[in-house]
Amino acid sequence: MFQKASLLLLVATLGLLSCSKDPISDLSNEESLVYITNHDKSANFSQYKTFSIVDSVLIVENNRTGTSLDDIDKAIIERITTNMESLGYTYVRPDKKPDVGINVTWVTNTYLNVYSQPISSYYGGYWGGGFGYPSYYSYYETSESSWLISMLDFKNPKTSPTGKTFDVLWDAQIRGSGIGDLNLIDKMADSIFGQSGYLKIK
Amino acid sequence: MKKIIIVALFLAGIAPAFAQDKPKLYTLASPFERYTHYLATARFMGAVPLGSFKDNYIDKSSFQNFSLSIEWVLRNSPLSIGGEIGSTYFEKRIPRAVYEGEEGAISAVQTRTLSQYPVELFGNYHFLPRTSTVQPYVQLSGGVSILDYTLYYGSLASQEQKVRPKYGIGLGSKFLFKKDGKFGADVRVKYDGTSFKHEYIEKGVSSVNGSIGLFYRWW
Repeated sequence: MFQKASLLLLVATLGLLSCSKDPISDLSNEESLVYITNHDKSANFSQYKTFSIVDSVLIVENNRTGTSLDDIDKAIIERITTNMESLGYTYVRPDKKPDVGINVTWVTNTYLNVYSQPISSYYGGYWGGGFGYPSYYSYYETSESSWLISMLDFKNPKTSPTGKTFDVLWDAQIRGSGIGDLNLIDKMADSIFGQSGYLKIK
Repeated sequence: MKKIIIVALFLAGIAPAFAQDKPKLYTLASPFERYTHYLATARFMGAVPLGSFKDNYIDKSSFQNFSLSIEWVLRNSPLSIGGEIGSTYFEKRIPRAVYEGEEGAISAVQTRTLSQYPVELFGNYHFLPRTSTVQPYVQLSGGVSILDYTLYYGSLASQEQKVRPKYGIGLGSKFLFKKDGKFGADVRVKYDGTSFKHEYIEKGVSSVNGSIGLFYRWW
């Protein structure tokens, strides 16, 4: 009788352990967004007056790159421009020697995950000897995209043997499941600038 | 006349047996009194966070907690010993806020969660004899907790899983539905402390939980 009870208890444990919860299933697209901003803490932003921005979005996908100018790409470029202007920067064309340049990138990283199926060791353990199964592996892929917006210092280029390099003064990452939502683009651009008050020069 | 007396005596012997379910040939104490027996309890719990766990991480009470226990009620002793397994879950949503850190500023809606699967051994000391239908007890327990700390920034998760020691002190009472019966209710208030340190949780996880349960006993 007691053995039966312990078995029941064991089954119940497995039952309890196996119910997985999804606490973020009720998040809206807007709530899913995460804005991460960084800046060069030694930079003095008041020395910059003009800016330029890329004319299309750079797409980086697992080391392959390209450009894109869909509705959503246009929308984010426009909104970033608006934000920069309201912070006090003046837009100039890229050939007019802007003080800072803004890059807009859509990054997709795909990860290959491997897990081994425990079938061989399980049977081996049960029968004591084992059957000499090879290890079984399964693969699954996950990918995550994010917006990456960076501000480069064109005013103070660094010269290196390989050519000119530009320091990143500020960058922003937008992550989360809602990043492809066109209706949220304005909110995204406003948010990354909104939490970076040090950019204001006006 | 003799016949009538015999019949009357016969009925006198039989009738009480119909009145009560079983004939009481000998006055024996209940087997639950005479033997070490088993007792299994299923509990539903409400838990309230305490201390720094409440101040720094989650201050919201939780009603998604369950446990199962099995115990040996020892013969000729006010003690019972047993094991308990359970599941507790705390969760809290924090509206969008900006978190300044070394990696920069992060603006996100946080969903803070903490799951625990405690596995414990416990001892109960009963204040009243086990013939009593109400059996108050104090409980001391110790074991491990399988912890899962998952903090969501928006839809991104940062997770930490650990097995940590835990202990508990409880005060409760069993209520038998019927004297010498097999089923009863169990009410318990218990303090639980788990040693754990990660990010927002600096001084362990502590909570007080109140539970109502049902038990079944057998021998």
